[in-house]
Amino acid sequence: MPQVKLFGILRQHAGSPQLIFAGETVRNVLQDLCAGKPELCAAIFTADQTGLRPHIRIMLNGRDIDMLQGFETPVGESDTLAIIPPIAGGFS
Amino acid sequence: MQGWAGKILDIDLTNGAVRTLPLDMEMARLFLGGRGLGARLLWDLVGPEVEPLAPENVLIFAVGPLTASGAQTSNRFSVSTKSPLTGTGLDANSGGWWGMQFKRTGHDALIVRGKAEHPVLIEITPAGVQIKDATHLWGKTVFETTALLGQDNQKRNVLCIGPAGENRSRMASIMNDGTRALARGGPGAVMGSKNLKAIVVEGDQKNQPEDRERFRFMLYETGKLIKASPITSQAYPEFGTAVVMNVVNEIGALPTRNFLQSQFENAELISGEHMADTILVKNQACWACPIACTRVTKTSHSEGEGPEYETAWAFGAQLGVSDLELIAEANYLCNDLGLDTISTGSTIGCAMELAEHGLIDSSLRFGRGDLLHETIRDIAYRRNLGDELAEGSYRFADSYNASEYSMSSKKLEMPAYDPRGMQGQGLLYATSNRGACHMRGNMLGPEVLALPRLIDRLAYQGKAGIVAVHQNAAALVDSLVICKFTNVAVAEEYFARLLSAVSGLDFTAENLMRVGERTWNMERLYNLREGFTKADDTLPDRMLNDPVEEGPSAGYTVHLEPMLKEYYAFRGWDAQGVPSSKIEGAGIG
Repeated sequence: MPQVKLFGILRQHAGSPQLIFAGETVRNVLQDLCAGKPELCAAIFTADQTGLRPHIRIMLNGRDIDMLQGFETPVGESDTLAIIPPIAGGFS
Repeated sequence: MQGWAGKILDIDLTNGAVRTLPLDMEMARLFLGGRGLGARLLWDLVGPEVEPLAPENVLIFAVGPLTASGAQTSNRFSVSTKSPLTGTGLDANSGGWWGMQFKRTGHDALIVRGKAEHPVLIEITPAGVQIKDATHLWGKTVFETTALLGQDNQKRNVLCIGPAGENRSRMASIMNDGTRALARGGPGAVMGSKNLKAIVVEGDQKNQPEDRERFRFMLYETGKLIKASPITSQAYPEFGTAVVMNVVNEIGALPTRNFLQSQFENAELISGEHMADTILVKNQACWACPIACTRVTKTSHSEGEGPEYETAWAFGAQLGVSDLELIAEANYLCNDLGLDTISTGSTIGCAMELAEHGLIDSSLRFGRGDLLHETIRDIAYRRNLGDELAEGSYRFADSYNASEYSMSSKKLEMPAYDPRGMQGQGLLYATSNRGACHMRGNMLGPEVLALPRLIDRLAYQGKAGIVAVHQNAAALVDSLVICKFTNVAVAEEYFARLLSAVSGLDFTAENLMRVGERTWNMERLYNLREGFTKADDTLPDRMLNDPVEEGPSAGYTVHLEPMLKEYYAFRGWDAQGVPSSKIEGAGIG
């Protein structure tokens, strides 16, 4: 099943740096995540769950899903989904 | 003073002359302060005939119109000089307290010329300016010197060099307030070449805003923005800059083992998250900073500040080292000896690769963290192989006819983003006026974090304009002078209103961005006068011709040439990268 990696503050919401969730698309995986980890879900999605909270990014195997097929991007068994919280580096 | 103090202190160490010059207010309006003012003054003061370590080179310490006003992060200052590492015009800037305290002495800049006969220090207090003997301090480390000179954050602030600067390592930093660094490009070596050990400042003047009510309102507004941003209110204070380590690794842009790979298998162990779980004691802030990104850390053997992301990378992934305690201690050591952590780490990485190939006789190897601290000491004191490494990676590798192993542009070591996985970053490094640098703009925002919006990190078309705007914005922030982290939450429009309130003059976001562009062109013209050409706007051969072998950036090299062409056109330069227009009001062109 796809692995979900978490960074920064999101790890505190999940209690772990990486988790396993089921799903054939990004949307399915995130739905599974929300069912199992509501606190983490609340940190990622807006209150009405219609979109991501500001500055949250989702990457599939290192590529931002906005550069792929968004939430409908197919996810394979050995794929890695990374969820990035609001962060910045030396200068952004 | 309202914004500008209107005075430049000018000290000639050769004859001990101390003068106070009026600040040209037209120049101040066009270049503001800090980096911009420094670049403009450097044009007049240091021509192409001057060697960087000769007495004729100058050090220009400059603050900005917002400095010490109380505006968020208005603590910073810069030093401008001709770089002994790159030969370009250089400015490096730093936070802490010293910049605020210098402004309170009633000056906008300090020019230091000449060379003293013996080690000296400069003391600037309400009682006057004195050049004092510092023979007893020569040979002391930064921490020792800072303590001996009575560092007190709120009252008396010390700026000094360590042994690396005294020994003229081309990677030597100037340190202020003990642990803050003007690091890149070797300004510490210039200070050492002048026999200048330290500059101590005590001020009693205030930068009183012209329109106090408007200023207070703007402080409230900018404060709200900084508090509302999850980046400035949560990510920086909680995890520091090293929180990007895992993310940059995830996309396959974390330079590993001298840029041979772009992912580090132990990135997690040197990340901001791991730091927070292990060696982090607390976070800390510079003067008037609500963000507080500084890491105060403690290892089994020592304690100090840092490491930042770039430092954790330079002594970590770049060397194949994953022991965070050892990396943090390397950071403390560089602060104490006065060395730039990025160039020092990357130069050691270059040596490790040469040793792996048998091109030098050394026990250095990727992963040999056990040799790290001694190698750093050797660089600072110019002992053994360290004497050669102190020249920086390019000169070191070139002396073995192996300059292609130096991961640098214009001889400045590249920081912690592999440009093959971030094409715009490649253009940014290649065109950066002081050499490869992530603080002259950084494409991590648009290419990875969607700040302000996402662009394809692996595409090269259409990048030039975004790179140029980021570079101009960085030049503006460095000229105000404030911390770039505020710019994550606060747009240029707010800076314009703050500056208008402080100075009583009218500034808009548009004319502030012109200051950034003007500064960039000024620096470009300086480098061209020094003999730099389009051929210097380049990257190591490895970035241009060796595709990343594995990971999310596999198969990519930097497509520099088409981006450069687009970039010159966007800036209005000719095909050789020469600005065609005069610089407004600067008297040159």
